[in-house]
Amino acid sequence: MSMARRLMAVLVFGVCAVSVARAQDRSTVAQQIDPLGRLNEGARYQIELLLDSARVAGLPTAPLESKALEGISKRVEGRRIVVAVRMVFRSLRDARSVLGTAATADELNAAASSLRVGVTRAELAHLAQTRREKSVTIPLVVLSDLITRGVPRDTASQTILQLWQRGAADDDFLGLWRGVERDIVSGTDPGVALLNRAREVPPRGPPSPPESGSRPEGTENRNP
Amino acid sequence: MLVPKPHATAIAGLLALLIPGQRSMAQNASELETRLEAGALTTSRPGQIPQSAFSVTPGFRFATPRFTANGSASGWLGAQQWQLGDANAAVEASSPLLYGFRAEVSTTASRIVRDFTMESDQIDAQARLHYLRQRGGLWLGAGVARPLRVAAVSNVNVSSGGVWTKFGPATLRGTVTSFLFTKVASRADSLDGAAIVCTPHVSAAPGADVVSAADAVASGCRHTSRLTDVEGSVRWEHHLMEVTVRGGQRFGDRLDVSSESRQWASAQAAVWISRQLAAVAGGGREPAQPMRGLPARSFGSLGLMLAYWPIPRGTVPVETPESMVHAFALRSAGPNTQRITARIGGVEKVEIMGDFSDWQPMPLIRRGRDIWELLVPVGPGVHQINLRIDGGQWIAPPGMPTLRDGFNGEVGVLVIGR
Repeated sequence: MSMARRLMAVLVFGVCAVSVARAQDRSTVAQQIDPLGRLNEGARYQIELLLDSARVAGLPTAPLESKALEGISKRVEGRRIVVAVRMVFRSLRDARSVLGTAATADELNAAASSLRVGVTRAELAHLAQTRREKSVTIPLVVLSDLITRGVPRDTASQTILQLWQRGAADDDFLGLWRGVERDIVSGTDPGVALLNRAREVPPRGPPSPPESGSRPEGTENRNP
Repeated sequence: MLVPKPHATAIAGLLALLIPGQRSMAQNASELETRLEAGALTTSRPGQIPQSAFSVTPGFRFATPRFTANGSASGWLGAQQWQLGDANAAVEASSPLLYGFRAEVSTTASRIVRDFTMESDQIDAQARLHYLRQRGGLWLGAGVARPLRVAAVSNVNVSSGGVWTKFGPATLRGTVTSFLFTKVASRADSLDGAAIVCTPHVSAAPGADVVSAADAVASGCRHTSRLTDVEGSVRWEHHLMEVTVRGGQRFGDRLDVSSESRQWASAQAAVWISRQLAAVAGGGREPAQPMRGLPARSFGSLGLMLAYWPIPRGTVPVETPESMVHAFALRSAGPNTQRITARIGGVEKVEIMGDFSDWQPMPLIRRGRDIWELLVPVGPGVHQINLRIDGGQWIAPPGMPTLRDGFNGEVGVLVIGR
């Protein structure tokens, strides 16, 4: 092969390599601009519909996008991502119907998560009724975790509600969670661990009066 | 020349099995389990008087994420005499997971006693490369085994491969194991009076490559055996029931594989009547182990299992990614910035991701032998976070509440105060 041909071959190879690299760059940049671009067409369409529905309903779209991105990063099949995003949408909608439009994004997220692990709308409403300007985020986060760890739902809901009505602070709930987690790992029954640890939480304020007779918005339906 | 067909079938019945067990956690990442089995067993062989014995088998298992050691030895009391029965000691070590691959080495010393008189001791070592996925895996391995006090004149080369997968409560496993060994030809090799094929350089008569069994034994003729076992098993666990069914087929020369060992199948079941009591039953057929000089046998067992669990089942962390994380902490490092510090030993790569990174994995930087660190842009509020070690499964970091992620996993809930 002559020198000229060799030079030509090297040149052609170089141009091809640069083209491929630039194409890959463009693809990467495109994915950065549109992170949902990694979804297949059908799944993406479904998720766009859910995002539109959330916008129309005045719900935050960030949790939905976040769940979709989480699924993509965990290499979950598109169909299952759509199911998960739809579940987040429904639980957010239910949470907002119980907590009202004044609820913060964190509260909505925490409430939606608790609904997804089995907390009923009635239980959520009881908690929301007595919040007295305090955020229900941490109690709901702890409640969801306790149910996930095997504490019976009724026991967990009643205990958290009682502590909440006794004026327990966020630190009390997080301290309670740490204690229960330690006890469960040590072999204590999850329900018993919660009841034992709840007794150690000091009362912070007078219990709020029971509001019997008033039915908060959204309590007529069970959780989804 | 016709050689009498050897009795290669033994029937064993286990009448009762009592297992008080004790578990304790040495530390978060390791586990020590001790066990004591007690029972009675009866064996019978055609032409022999059935024998019974009372057996006591203490055992232990110590496991860390990278190392496992276990051992057990049974003492049999029969005819007012104690005898060492089946015994086993094994150590296993594995490497960290890298791109889903894990290297595993193991060595085992084992003793099998059949019919109170037929003993076989063996030492073996094996190396495997295991590719692990969330619900399955496959592996390839090779090893060597050395039977003691049998007519083997070479080590046994063992090569194997397997695949396993989980379907709901069922675990399916398939293995192919190939054995290659040379031994002194014996009467046992001349099934149905067939001749033994000798390798030319050790044949009994110069120039001959086929000799009779008697000549072979007399001359010490060596015989190279090749066997391949293909085995499949299903283990099904559902609520209070555990069932294991396995079956296999052996391939090899007629001289190496007796008709009784061509196929085998067995089943075992345990039904937990309460948390401490289970009824166990099993039976089936085991193939011969020619390299150990053990014939095929049928067996049956029936009994009760008593278990004592100081720690409820399922809560003892063994070889889980979570147990490798000895510490995970966040400290404020400025406005909207958190410093994540994790102490995780013996791993190559640690990553986190969360809603604060749009679920893009962020590798932590190694700051010492076991310390990993990263500054992350996280503002006040409630965030979700996952941790991954050596490219494994995404897990919730310890020390924080968790939530199900909707994808059969969990996320940690990070609360950053305002």
